[in-house]
Amino acid sequence: MEYAIQARDLSKSYGEGHSQVDALKDISMAVQPGELFAIMGPSGSGKTTLLMILGLVTEPSEGSVLLEGKSIYEGKRFDLQRLRREKIGFIFQFSNLIPFLTAKENVLLSLELVDIVGRQADKRATELLAYLEVANRADNLPEQLSGGERQRVAVARALANNPAIILADEPTAALDTERGLSVMRLLRKVSKEQGTAILVVTHDTRMISEVDGVIHLMDGRMVEDSDSQRQLQSQNGR
Amino acid sequence: MNLAIKDIRYHLFKFISSTVGVGLILMVVLTIGGIIRGIILDSSTIIDATGADLWVVQKDWLGPFVEISRLPEDYYHAIQSMHGVDEVSPLVMAWDHIERPMRPTPLMKFMYMNTVIGTRTMVQPGWMDMPHDLRFIVIGYEPGHLGGPPVIVAGRGIEASHYEIVADVKTGLEPGEHIRLGDFDYTVVGLTKNIVGYTADPVIYATLNDAQNILLEADPDLLRNIRRRTQQQLLSAATLDPRLSGPLANHASQIAENVSFVNAVAVKVQPGVSVEMVAREIARWKHLTVYTSAREVNMQLMGSNRLILLQLSLFRLILLIIAGVVIGLITYTFTLDKLKEIAVLKLLGTQTRRIYSMILQQAVLMGLLGTLLGAALEFASEPYFPRRVVATRGDVVQMLIVISVIAFLASIMAIPAGHESRPAQRARHIRRRTDGVRDSSEGPV
Repeated sequence: MEYAIQARDLSKSYGEGHSQVDALKDISMAVQPGELFAIMGPSGSGKTTLLMILGLVTEPSEGSVLLEGKSIYEGKRFDLQRLRREKIGFIFQFSNLIPFLTAKENVLLSLELVDIVGRQADKRATELLAYLEVANRADNLPEQLSGGERQRVAVARALANNPAIILADEPTAALDTERGLSVMRLLRKVSKEQGTAILVVTHDTRMISEVDGVIHLMDGRMVEDSDSQRQLQSQNGR
Repeated sequence: MNLAIKDIRYHLFKFISSTVGVGLILMVVLTIGGIIRGIILDSSTIIDATGADLWVVQKDWLGPFVEISRLPEDYYHAIQSMHGVDEVSPLVMAWDHIERPMRPTPLMKFMYMNTVIGTRTMVQPGWMDMPHDLRFIVIGYEPGHLGGPPVIVAGRGIEASHYEIVADVKTGLEPGEHIRLGDFDYTVVGLTKNIVGYTADPVIYATLNDAQNILLEADPDLLRNIRRRTQQQLLSAATLDPRLSGPLANHASQIAENVSFVNAVAVKVQPGVSVEMVAREIARWKHLTVYTSAREVNMQLMGSNRLILLQLSLFRLILLIIAGVVIGLITYTFTLDKLKEIAVLKLLGTQTRRIYSMILQQAVLMGLLGTLLGAALEFASEPYFPRRVVATRGDVVQMLIVISVIAFLASIMAIPAGHESRPAQRARHIRRRTDGVRDSSEGPV
């Protein structure tokens, strides 16, 4: 099966000469559709940098990123904004829903970005909100929702464009354990039922029970990937 | 989905308060422009209302508005007969005043006291109760000829040859009211409107003879003195028979007293005839000075009113710059407040042009609504100014264009902050806004 996302020998450095700092060094990994992986590590270990590189937000200093088998930074230049819009879904720590849009409009916006509008968009948004059990909050603004409800809407928004991969940056950090686990189970459910690859950055080791694999980072290096057999090294690709 | 409108609805109070701020600033800018235009219009009102093409005055004098010219009244008969002249009218005009009790409003008291306190010319206690001089310009004309009131808004025009006047509404006089001017009482028979001199003093119209009595009649004591001196000079002439010198002296002084003067002669040129040519002819024939109406207006604007116009224009320029900066900053900060939303929109893959469009729509809408509000407030407040304030639709259109450009530029300046070139900074920005955690993309901690 083709990987949803794959990283080969990713490195990211900031600065030059003596002041150069390596944020990431030789990271290789891959996630298949329907898998849920966690990226863990202490603060400053490079988790978010890796997430941003995989999300095509930051360009790596070295190495390559393959999205559904296509190498993003080698050869043909892709419209990264469009790829993000069509292939990637983002979930943030505090959901970061657009505050002036209702729950449904937040989902509709994501659909509009991939040119799905009108009844089709309305139907899809309603279905997604129902799937995530927040249909009754469709017309509420984010500020009128609880933390858990906001994250569910954020997941619905991330799913709206049928992305190949969802990148979640500490989606449970602002929630208590019970709600955090609820969100992780929801992501688990989404990955299995929708066939979406999901990468979750988290500090919380209690969430490990819900994931298929863990990528451990320490000082920008990958130190362990205990479950996954697909940890890739060096130039040997798959 | 129009993001701009949805955002405005969500931040309605903020948008309205910012728009009101913009509107108030623009109101001040428009008002200063209106004050300047008011001064310019005041300088040309009498001239325009008279409808004359040329103004004939005493040789080498800048009359009749900025210097007091005097020329014999009967000159106008000769000018009337000249080629190309359609109509002439001898005019008398000068400032005069009457004492009237003042009716200060609380606002006037406040403004005045705030102006004079701390200066060396502080007004003495009780100044508000002191008699107040109502200053005005008396214009004497021959009814039916050039120089009369262009419009009567109350009462009627002058019909009798004596003791009737028409006053501008700004004098505060009412039809039927009697006032004493010179040695006689005059009845206000009608009111005209917006006829003021370049000093904004209102005009009172009288017949030519009455105006001559009011403005040019010498003091009786002075006349007696002149008559006595004339007689003494004639009596002292050695060659004159003493029996004749007395009656001759009396007659000579009466002749001198009976010469009537006017301040200017207004001339209307026949259609198709060169105004300049007629002006040259009059000036050559009688050794008089002749000005076109445009030159008369210019004399006031660039003479008497030059410094105040320059002062106000400079102030307007400074105000425009300040307004531009303030409005730019309001727009800029309004955009900066949306950095988080912009960052999320960018991460979701929203097209850059759509984000630009949202910000620009809001900025331009704020500018447009602010300008319209400022214009409405300015127009509403115009009647309450003591001097004429005239802002035009053209001013508002100009302001709309300028403010739209400023709002556009301010947004363009703010957008890079919400649309930082490195997308990772956007993600980092979201994290900083939310949890304050330092992101590893800044380098390991």
